[in-house]
Amino acid sequence: MTTSQQPLLSTAGIAKSYGPVIALTSVDLSVAPGEIHALLGANGAGKSTLVKILASVFDADVGSVTINGAAVNLKGPGEATEAGIATVFQDPALIPDLSLDQNLTISGLRHSDVVPWLERMQLADLDFGLLVRDIPLASLRLVDLARALAHDPQLLMLDEITAALTPEQADRVFDVMREWKSMNRSVLFISHRLGEVLRICDVATILRNGRDVAHLDLSGIDEAELVTAMLGEELARGSKAGSPDAAPSRQTLSDKDRGVVLAAKDLHFRGRINGVSFELRRGEILGVTALEGQGQNELFALLSGDHRPTSGEIEINGERLSAYSPYKAIRKGLVLVPGSRHDALLPQRSIRENLATPLYNRIGRWFSLVADESERVDGAVARLNIDTRAASQVRRLSGGNQQKVTIGRWLVSDFEVLLCFDPTRGIDIQTKAQIYELLKELARDGAAVLMYSSELREIPLVCDRVLVMYDGSIVHEQSAATATEEILLTAAHGLESAPA
Amino acid sequence: MTAANPTVEARPLSGRSWRRWTQRHGWTVGIWILLVVLVVWYSTLIPRFGGFQFSTIINGGTAWIFLAAAQAVVVIAGGLDLGVGGLLVLTSATAAQFMDGQPFAISIVLAVVILIGAAILNGFVGWIVTVSRVPDIVVTLGSLFIYQGLALMMLPKVGGGSSDGFRWLFTGSATGIGTNPWPAIVMITVPIAVAARWMGRTPSGLSLYAVGSDETAAFLSGVNAARVKIVSYAVGGAFVAMAGFSTLAIAGVGNATTEGSSLTLNSVAAIVLGGVLFTGGVGSLIAVVPAALILFFFNPILSALGVNPNQAQVIQGILIVFVMMVASLIEWRRRRRS
Repeated sequence: MTTSQQPLLSTAGIAKSYGPVIALTSVDLSVAPGEIHALLGANGAGKSTLVKILASVFDADVGSVTINGAAVNLKGPGEATEAGIATVFQDPALIPDLSLDQNLTISGLRHSDVVPWLERMQLADLDFGLLVRDIPLASLRLVDLARALAHDPQLLMLDEITAALTPEQADRVFDVMREWKSMNRSVLFISHRLGEVLRICDVATILRNGRDVAHLDLSGIDEAELVTAMLGEELARGSKAGSPDAAPSRQTLSDKDRGVVLAAKDLHFRGRINGVSFELRRGEILGVTALEGQGQNELFALLSGDHRPTSGEIEINGERLSAYSPYKAIRKGLVLVPGSRHDALLPQRSIRENLATPLYNRIGRWFSLVADESERVDGAVARLNIDTRAASQVRRLSGGNQQKVTIGRWLVSDFEVLLCFDPTRGIDIQTKAQIYELLKELARDGAAVLMYSSELREIPLVCDRVLVMYDGSIVHEQSAATATEEILLTAAHGLESAPA
Repeated sequence: MTAANPTVEARPLSGRSWRRWTQRHGWTVGIWILLVVLVVWYSTLIPRFGGFQFSTIINGGTAWIFLAAAQAVVVIAGGLDLGVGGLLVLTSATAAQFMDGQPFAISIVLAVVILIGAAILNGFVGWIVTVSRVPDIVVTLGSLFIYQGLALMMLPKVGGGSSDGFRWLFTGSATGIGTNPWPAIVMITVPIAVAARWMGRTPSGLSLYAVGSDETAAFLSGVNAARVKIVSYAVGGAFVAMAGFSTLAIAGVGNATTEGSSLTLNSVAAIVLGGVLFTGGVGSLIAVVPAALILFFFNPILSALGVNPNQAQVIQGILIVFVMMVASLIEWRRRRRS
């Protein structure tokens, strides 16, 4: 992109730190009118912080922001919107206890302002009297986008909007972005899915450790080059371990050790799950994938003891799970890494305490914790490579490090079956590779892993076998090594798939 | 794409919207019905039930209603104001001090000044809560004592007074005892209805719910969360002033020795019964009005039944907890079904 025209938005030397943790060291960014600009970087590189500074959620410690050639000093997201910058944040910005209509009223909008945009995203018949808390996350992300568009911004900032969307929904978002571009407006787009970045974006600014390390024109660049730019030369070579070429290591256990550890027998749950059966063996990583809302949430809630099935049975090591509660399930060795990290962690407590929480559950140890508590915790920290700079409060860790703590909790205690719900959602490529390695290592050591993933391409990287759910049933099962994105996507839509 | 679209919601059907209406407003309707049932029952318990008895309930309940409304506004916006009882005593003592012997017109001007003053004073308390980040429960515990102390400095002994017209406004009679409930009904209905509409329909009013429900999301939506909290305390202060005026109008004299803390606890009980959630973001002034009246009404009913006052307190406490248990049971069943 040429620099002859005046940029719509530019920053110079933006820096920001939260106490001892430095989020941004110095960032120069320039967004031209009529371009779709990708902001890329590993987790913790400072993307979300930069977006929040541009949206005036925080003030930068140092540095300046210029809009259309004039330096601005905005106070709060409301003023940023007025100045022509509308943002869809990573966290939903809709009020759970109010209806959609009331949410629009707060932003000074009317229903008719967002309807044209919702139509384009095929959500026109969304009921605006519903409370936000009763609406699925994917729809909320699209409403958030429609609301941002209704403010008619010069610059639209989208922070990880596609993470919660199905591929078709993401396509509709891309259509809107292209339309915005054709009106000579700009989009700043953040995503961990490099494929879509290359498909939709014109240029990219790459952040690493709080600095802008590269400004790229994306035409004629492939994913590998992007990864190299994001990670730096050495790390990129290391992450090849998690690339499709590396065959997942498996079958290191002898056959007699590979008994069935978890069996679901004809599970039904209030019309959301209609007869799901499968077996999971020791040392196996079983993948589950599906489009949004096909019963995968309910399946994991049943297996983790959060809900009681309407009919059907869950067996662990041949023993029927009789009472349904997370407490019971955990005591039987069935542990969950939930989709939302907020559901699993104690945000105000330290890493150590979070890791040790499952140990508190042990009966007979009321006065002293498990003797080797600190060894177990140290072991987990080292094994997971957790960044402990912000050790005193887990909420100050980056998303990737929080996820490591969530998994680490179960390493510290013992378990038979690890249930992981979308463990790599919104996590950078490097941490993803570490989590893949960890899961494979656990399986090698004899654990059984059931992993739901919304990202089809990670299935063959991690899993041995994959199940595809559609409308509350398992519609497809095959070996993961031969599962292409195309096969899985076809099955996930409930369509006849080519014989695998 | 020909496959079924997984995110399109079911279209609103009439049965569905009816169910939603009952979910949203069921509590309000239920609490109004409970009030009517109690009034009808009470009328059969006592030998005579007419205009006098009716206006006694309305007049006596006025202060409870305004105090509960004040608490509701603050709690909906995610705060808590333990100071309301103290502010009631302070406003009624101040009014008694200055209105004594004044003509009607002057007393109205004084009332407006005191009302604005109470709003500013309590808004200042809200400002301290937001700026200092000291928990609201601590700051307003302090303001409770401060208000009560200021009231006692203002009016150390029972005394002062107000104009006849002023008393009529809140009680329908110049002596504070009468058979005409209408002035009090109007004095309650107009401000509560205006406030309820403001909170339910306008951007600034809905911001109270937004901040109480999810402060971060509200901030990201462009709501100035700090200002909204301050406004909630200020509106609360104005409602408390109305409660103070009603108290003065009924008694005819100011009394700063009234325990503000027990009045505060009444307001908390009333909003709980009125369906306002302590976590913020949920509740309606329209449901708080009958809830406050029901709480006020417990004592006359129990004394009509011949229950001794000490037992009456125990029964009142049990009833509040029992009603809340039934309510959460209904809510739990609803969530399980959906």
